[in-house]
Amino acid sequence: MVDKQKPNRAPINRHHGIGTKPPKVDDMKATLKRIWSYMVSEKKLFNTVLAIILLSSVLSLLGPYLLGVAVDRVIAEPATNTLLIMLSLLLGVYVLHSAFLWLQNYLMIGISQNTVYRMRNHLFSHLQRLPLLFFQKKQQGELMSRLTNDMENVSRTLNTAIIQFVTSILTILGTVVIMLILSPVLTLMTLTIVPVMYFGMKWITKRTGRYFKEQQKHLGEVNGYVEEMFSGQMIISMFSREDRVIKEFETKNEALKASGYWAQTYSGFIPKLMNMLNNVSFAIIVGAGGLLALNGSISIGIIVTFTTYSRQFTRPLNDLANQYNMILSAVAGAERVFQIIDEAEEKKDEGKASAIQSIHGDIEFRSVYFSYDEDEDTLSNISFRASKGQTVALVGPTGAGKTTIISLLSRFYETDGGSILVDGKDIKTITRDSLRSQMRVVLQDSTMFHTTIRENIRYGRLEASDDEVETAAKEAHAHDFITQLRDGYDTVLDSDGKGVSHGQRQLLSIARAMLADPALLILDEATSSIDTVTEMKINDALGKLMKNRTSFVIAHRLNTIRSADQILVLEHGEIIEKGSHRELVDQGGFYANMVAAQQAESQASV
Amino acid sequence: MKKIFAYAVTYKFSAVIAILLMLIELVVELVQPLLMARIIDDGIMQEDYTVVATWGGVLVGLSLLAFAAGITNSFFAANVSQGVGYDLRRDLFKKVQSFSNENFQSYSTPNLVTRMTNDVIQIQNLVLMLMRIALRAPLFIIFALVMAFTVNVQLAFILLIAVPVLGAFLFWVLLKGIKLFKRVQTKLDGVNTVIRENLTGIRLVKGFNRGEYEEERFHEVNHSLMDKNKRALWLMELAMPVVMLGMNVIILILLWVGAVQLNLGTAQPGEVVAIINYATRIMFTFSIFSFLIMVFSRGNASANRVSDVLNERTPDFNRQGGRDTLLKGNIEFEGVTFSRGEAETLTDISFSARSGEMIGILGETGSGKTSLLHLIPRLFEKDSGSILLDEQEIEELDVHAIRRQISLVPQEVHLFSGTVKENIAWGKENATDEEIMKAAKNAEIHSFISTLPNGYESRIGQRGVSFSGGQKQRLSIARALVRNPKILILDDSTSALDAHTEARLLRTLKQQKCTIFMVAQKISSLKAAHKILLLERGEIIAEGDHEELLEYSAYYREVYQSQQEVVM
Repeated sequence: MVDKQKPNRAPINRHHGIGTKPPKVDDMKATLKRIWSYMVSEKKLFNTVLAIILLSSVLSLLGPYLLGVAVDRVIAEPATNTLLIMLSLLLGVYVLHSAFLWLQNYLMIGISQNTVYRMRNHLFSHLQRLPLLFFQKKQQGELMSRLTNDMENVSRTLNTAIIQFVTSILTILGTVVIMLILSPVLTLMTLTIVPVMYFGMKWITKRTGRYFKEQQKHLGEVNGYVEEMFSGQMIISMFSREDRVIKEFETKNEALKASGYWAQTYSGFIPKLMNMLNNVSFAIIVGAGGLLALNGSISIGIIVTFTTYSRQFTRPLNDLANQYNMILSAVAGAERVFQIIDEAEEKKDEGKASAIQSIHGDIEFRSVYFSYDEDEDTLSNISFRASKGQTVALVGPTGAGKTTIISLLSRFYETDGGSILVDGKDIKTITRDSLRSQMRVVLQDSTMFHTTIRENIRYGRLEASDDEVETAAKEAHAHDFITQLRDGYDTVLDSDGKGVSHGQRQLLSIARAMLADPALLILDEATSSIDTVTEMKINDALGKLMKNRTSFVIAHRLNTIRSADQILVLEHGEIIEKGSHRELVDQGGFYANMVAAQQAESQASV
Repeated sequence: MKKIFAYAVTYKFSAVIAILLMLIELVVELVQPLLMARIIDDGIMQEDYTVVATWGGVLVGLSLLAFAAGITNSFFAANVSQGVGYDLRRDLFKKVQSFSNENFQSYSTPNLVTRMTNDVIQIQNLVLMLMRIALRAPLFIIFALVMAFTVNVQLAFILLIAVPVLGAFLFWVLLKGIKLFKRVQTKLDGVNTVIRENLTGIRLVKGFNRGEYEEERFHEVNHSLMDKNKRALWLMELAMPVVMLGMNVIILILLWVGAVQLNLGTAQPGEVVAIINYATRIMFTFSIFSFLIMVFSRGNASANRVSDVLNERTPDFNRQGGRDTLLKGNIEFEGVTFSRGEAETLTDISFSARSGEMIGILGETGSGKTSLLHLIPRLFEKDSGSILLDEQEIEELDVHAIRRQISLVPQEVHLFSGTVKENIAWGKENATDEEIMKAAKNAEIHSFISTLPNGYESRIGQRGVSFSGGQKQRLSIARALVRNPKILILDDSTSALDAHTEARLLRTLKQQKCTIFMVAQKISSLKAAHKILLLERGEIIAEGDHEELLEYSAYYREVYQSQQEVVM
């Protein structure tokens, strides 16, 4: 209410934050450190890889050196026995080199894929611990892109970048040392290109870094849009919105293309710059070296060897630059992944909270308050009691807060005021998991998983046998339609539920709940899409299910509500009437009016 | 794969320029060693500084030329690869827009999304690589071979034999790699599917306290993705060490044979050195190859997955071409059958509805109500029989023209991210604010919208999660009403409304000038219909108005009584 003065306040911003942080320079170090934290358990293996890289780098320098010696030997005296020894030695070096190369790559792929595996798992586990509100505020496809595309980006880089990075640095160090030994003066001259290289690289990576970030962001947006449109494809066809949707997609697609174009173009500059500098450094060496040779301060032989080393010097620099680029792009992805991991988890169970083994089923709400946004109460002063085995029906216009009450009981949301008691204990003293495992919810949107019908039902109780699954399906009157499908219980459902009707999915949801043996049962519009005859048939089963269990029912059809022990009539987040069907009808209030309306409609035709 | 190359043709201008620029770079790169040799041999060795200065200048000049060519190449190459990526995404998206229900059966949403993002990226990488380095490697090898032959034919022969053998090995790795990466992409689909299910069904997962179970399930798919990834990458990483070893052994053989020839006097020392030099260069080029085959096999696997979607046969009725007509709203079904997958869903459906009538449809869960309704705007295609709209065969009419005049409110509400206004305006492009408000009023949702802080500009989360079920249904109805349809189809779309609201809504709907089809569970919602069709297992078992059905249909009476008990 207080907030009304600020007209343009975004409706929801409690869980804002993804993608809004401006890119910072030292983000990179922090991000790399975090990636490392997933790798640290394989530190030993990683060190082994580093050692092997060291060996293979030495071998890669030794090979050409020995070859040079061998070539000189061949030319000097072609027909000696030492040649054979020389060649065998070389063969040994080559075999070892290849073996080490293979081993380092083999091990590194193991490490990097394990790392990515761990990161993915952590990300997914974290997702499971995020509060429900988080998911309600985020576009699903955009989230998905972070979990998939951005993770893939990290994965691709880890495979090769580390090895190449280390190899390059080692080779550069080795080469510089040899160059210094050969001629400090020429080395200094060769190194004059390093500042140019540094500033060139800085200029380029400043741009690539930015565009990589943008690219990942746009990719996320494309992903989000595509996901949303494809899952609503039927509506698009129905409203002939194809052209419009395609046009909208094209703007997003274009944005992605633009950032991708610049990211790729700028990163393409790197090897070209390196190549050019390489040649310039050669020219410097021969030019300046030539001058030095003329006044005799340097030997010609040194210039010749030097040129080969200077070339060896720039090749790994080139690689380094390329790797750096890849790392930049992976860091852009990893940052987006870590943003999710940094989202606050669902509140931890309170310190004194303990797990409960079973609950009796007495529920009490004591003047509970709750609001989604600070400015408006969604629920205010909700108080009621339900004792074990009772059925409580929640009635009221849409948006009155019925589902919210149930969500508070399941602790999807936290109350802002008041308390909720289960068996006289404040639910804040009970761990969420143990509380939730005592209740079963049947929702209006019956979510199905991409697996067989059998497994979908078994979701209610994972250890249930096939027979139990079928019994539950029979009780929910789903058995008949299931057996009519060609693959029966083994029919694989689509995650969007295509293939079975909405009503059929609700039957499956009910079967799922039947299979479980909860102390608390919650039916949130669980039968809304089921025809009344089938509903009547399952009502017996539902009645059995609700017996001895405290149940909460949200429904619009009176016959579902009528038999409830207690009916709570809600309006604008408050309980306006409370009592049994009879009492409320006699009371002549909102509920009575509602009943009268339905009655009138049903009887108008008689 | 061919299909993907066809996409590059669009950018042939840029592609040709990019490749030409790359060739300039290549030539410079090939000339470089010759220049360097010259500078060293004729300049430094002979202590002739003018040679060093001249050729050094030429070298720097050429380097700058190559640099300029390389920088320019970056622009054109990026243009081609990003362009191809853009076009692929556009065409994939367009293609999916024409997907029918059957098409969607073979591609789930997460699967399509992976193809549109990850797979397209792999293809982009492939194209980019082709523009920048791919041609260079084989050209370089061929050039080196030719040069080797000009130096010493016998020694060059050894190279000529060795290169194809190693090439064949790389090709084998490539073929295997394509297969392995295809599996990787499939596993990636699996991971994406679990992620998506958990995002969509998070309420259920939390409600059932299945977090740990889902984590385990995810670990499983994640593990098998890791597994497949490792396998593919391990194979790829085998390529380079093997090729290097092979090439190194060849160099040793060259050295051995060279020594023998030197002994016999058939070769000069310089020739042996030169040949070994070329062999070393070929080896380095091969190591580029081992990187190329990785990109290539990934790209190829992805290209096939993308082509699969593009080649999917979509029903051609979605294209324009039929007669455009202004509907009055008369509908006639004659012996219509329709089957979905295995079982026949609708059998011999015949009925007629006149303009302005309200047709109620009642039937058990799974009796074919939704299928029947979806036939009218041709969201489903009937198998036989005929459907007449104003006495015209439905197939002869332009499908978009028909759909423009029909509104269907599906059982499950799907709203899009955007404002309330935008969502209602989905029903009619360029709808005015008045029209939107009128539709909202008719759908009994206007007063609720007015209570929102931002009114019609309030944003809706994806799938409208922050609205209650009933509010979403009414928004969905407003979206259908805004276009003033000639035929309005309500597929059980008032189920989440309370009786009061529903009654008011039905009264308003009756005043609309259109033919209404309405599926409902409550007879009270249907009793005002001119005609009620009773469906059972895909057949119409009874037809008539409320009174007639009460009299003649036992089933209808049963349903009616089941609902009357309420009112005691």
